[in-house]
Amino acid sequence: MFGGLKEKLQAARDRLGSSIQGAEANQAPATDAIETATDAAAKKTVSPGAPTFADKVKVLVIDRELIVSEKDISDALSELEMTLLESDVALPVCDAIIARVRTSLIGKHRKIGRSVDALVVGALKSALLEVLGNGFNLVDYIKTHSRPVKILFTGVNGTGKTTTVAKIGAYLKKQGYTVVIGGGDTYRAGAIEQIGVHAERIGLKIIQHQEGADPSAVLFDSVQYAVSHKIDVVLADTAGRFHTKSNLMSQLEKIRRVMKPDLVVYVDEAVAGNDAVIRAAEFDRTVGADAIVLTKVDMDSRGGAAISIAHTIGKPLMFLGTGQRYEDIMLFEPAQVVEELLGSDS
Amino acid sequence: MLDNLSTSLKDALKKLAGKSVIDRAAVDELVKDLQRALISADVNVKLVMELSKAIRIRSLDEQLPKGTNVREHVLRIVYQELVRLVWASADIRLEPQIILMAGLQGSGKTTTTAKLARYFQKKGMKAGVICADTFRPGAYDQLSTLCAKINVPCFGNPLEKDAIKITREGLGNLKDLETVIVDTQGRHALEADLIKEIIELNNLTKATHRWLVIDAALGQQASEQARRFHEAINIDGVIITKMDGTAKGGGALSAVAETKSGIAFIGSGETIEDLERFDPDGFISRLLGMGDLKALLEKAEGAIKPDDIDVNAMMKGKFTLRDMYKQLEALNKMGPLKQIMGMLPMGNMELPEGVYDVTSTKMVRYRIIMDSMTPYELDDPSLINSSRMQRIARGAGATPDEVRELLKYFKMMQRTLKGLRSGGGKFNMQRLMKRFSGLQ
Repeated sequence: MFGGLKEKLQAARDRLGSSIQGAEANQAPATDAIETATDAAAKKTVSPGAPTFADKVKVLVIDRELIVSEKDISDALSELEMTLLESDVALPVCDAIIARVRTSLIGKHRKIGRSVDALVVGALKSALLEVLGNGFNLVDYIKTHSRPVKILFTGVNGTGKTTTVAKIGAYLKKQGYTVVIGGGDTYRAGAIEQIGVHAERIGLKIIQHQEGADPSAVLFDSVQYAVSHKIDVVLADTAGRFHTKSNLMSQLEKIRRVMKPDLVVYVDEAVAGNDAVIRAAEFDRTVGADAIVLTKVDMDSRGGAAISIAHTIGKPLMFLGTGQRYEDIMLFEPAQVVEELLGSDS
Repeated sequence: MLDNLSTSLKDALKKLAGKSVIDRAAVDELVKDLQRALISADVNVKLVMELSKAIRIRSLDEQLPKGTNVREHVLRIVYQELVRLVWASADIRLEPQIILMAGLQGSGKTTTTAKLARYFQKKGMKAGVICADTFRPGAYDQLSTLCAKINVPCFGNPLEKDAIKITREGLGNLKDLETVIVDTQGRHALEADLIKEIIELNNLTKATHRWLVIDAALGQQASEQARRFHEAINIDGVIITKMDGTAKGGGALSAVAETKSGIAFIGSGETIEDLERFDPDGFISRLLGMGDLKALLEKAEGAIKPDDIDVNAMMKGKFTLRDMYKQLEALNKMGPLKQIMGMLPMGNMELPEGVYDVTSTKMVRYRIIMDSMTPYELDDPSLINSSRMQRIARGAGATPDEVRELLKYFKMMQRTLKGLRSGGGKFNMQRLMKRFSGLQ
């Protein structure tokens, strides 16, 4: 997974490493000659801001350490920026990550002889981990909450909400939970048939009305059904909608008021570009989002959208959809993903 | 965020304005802003780099044509380079043809298939569709429901699992029709079996056109996917879907560059009529976040008949309910207000959010309420007191609250128009309205 991103990050990491190393080589021969001259200069400069040349030399000579400067890494950072952009990380998110790596690298004292790699990887890792947050374990969540746990799925058209509902239904069923699906997409032609077939194949109960019915009513009925039949989880599918359509968004708000979901799950696709950020923010603002499911991960080895969305709304990724079969779904574990992206240790 | 980008692009252009000698630093800055605008519109990063290099070189090297200033010169180059990228829009002929639809899962192939059938039907051709999506549950139901609404024959069999067999039967079944559109299952380029299937479908149907459906939100992946599809079945046109969201459709630009084809259609809504021919000018404006007056004017041309709107009265500040009635009617024909406002080159002007909130259903309600008013009330809304409000509400089958809401909306529109008239800046409503009237 995310093979493409991994490859590129590795390359960027090497570049960063080598440019810091290069800076070291440049500084080293100069030290002997200027040592005496800088003694005086060093006394004069007490500026706490950017390290002056004198500071650098002092640190180099006395502590046998190097200070990483902006100049040393700016080339490598702009390369990293390109890498992230090519991997579909949205522009503002990319800027944020770069800024984080820059501030955590610049001004760092580094003992000569200590691996540059460790420094760079550390900075990248912490920046990515911070963005991706902690995963979200649905099973743990269900265990600790009162039944039925009501989960509402939202997202724009064609991101794979219905398929995701079916996959999560199958996953929870395998974990031993009872599940009912609410067929809340009453708008799109064929949607009722689609989720109906899914439910039948997995062997789950589904609550549906006819096409054009009020989705809030359907989902309310689903919750009532779950309560009276002591069912563990309600998975509420909804029609895809664009965040720009205010009437559809207020319909979604109504759904939320009526069924009072415990979790609102925002579904988006891994192949989405910069727009992923805009719509995620808008959905989060209007109906909220507690967790994210990223679909169609098998289409794209870059996975930048995961980083963009997670960074924008600051909510954890719960699952990744990785194919067309019901079992093609995996829990998202950020630490593991970052580890995989940057290689464990070197 | 994107608004900020287009603002910075405009700022960069402003710096070039009035200069008679090309300023290297200013051009560099412009190119950098352009890069950012294009990248955040999801255009392929490599493509952006090539493009910006070309623009930079041409801007610095080419002689400044007499009579133009630097800003115009650079803008023209930017525009030319972008148009070169989008190529000509794909050729659409009204003749017997078979169209094969291809695309990723969830990009909107099935909806677009029905929209296309409707398009050709409206052009007077006998159209039919074949549902060759044997994988997704409900695919046949979806397509046949959509087709039933527009009276287009739809061939398919939800029980059959062999797409090739269905298509073969379908072609026989629909052979009397002039345009046959084959909807296929969503697939991505890494699924070898499915790519093999679509190659077979292409060989079987001997399709006249093979169109790739691209979601406007598709990111950097667009190039790669388009290239693979192109290798498999030689794509000769691209359709961008979901342009009614906030996505800029830069992915489609990458796809077009990759397949060396043109953009045939743009899908911009959920109803079956929401399909437009591609217009390069409008697309580029949207991509860069700069207004597109041309598209709006074309839309207005079709929708507004002479004396639909009394421009002069409005400009004099006499904006009555009657004007709003006509305006709502005209706007209804042009599409949602936000979409129209998005096409205007209003730059940094902010309209109150509430102006956009009038959805098409609300517009219909408003018109019904206004139908229940007397001519005096329409001319002078201040006449409306609570007893008149009761009468209007009863006549329109509405609540007094709704009437109040309408009046509130009217006041907001009135204020907005006033603001536009007196508002400074390069753009004002007056000029726009003049252009409107010039067309009539």
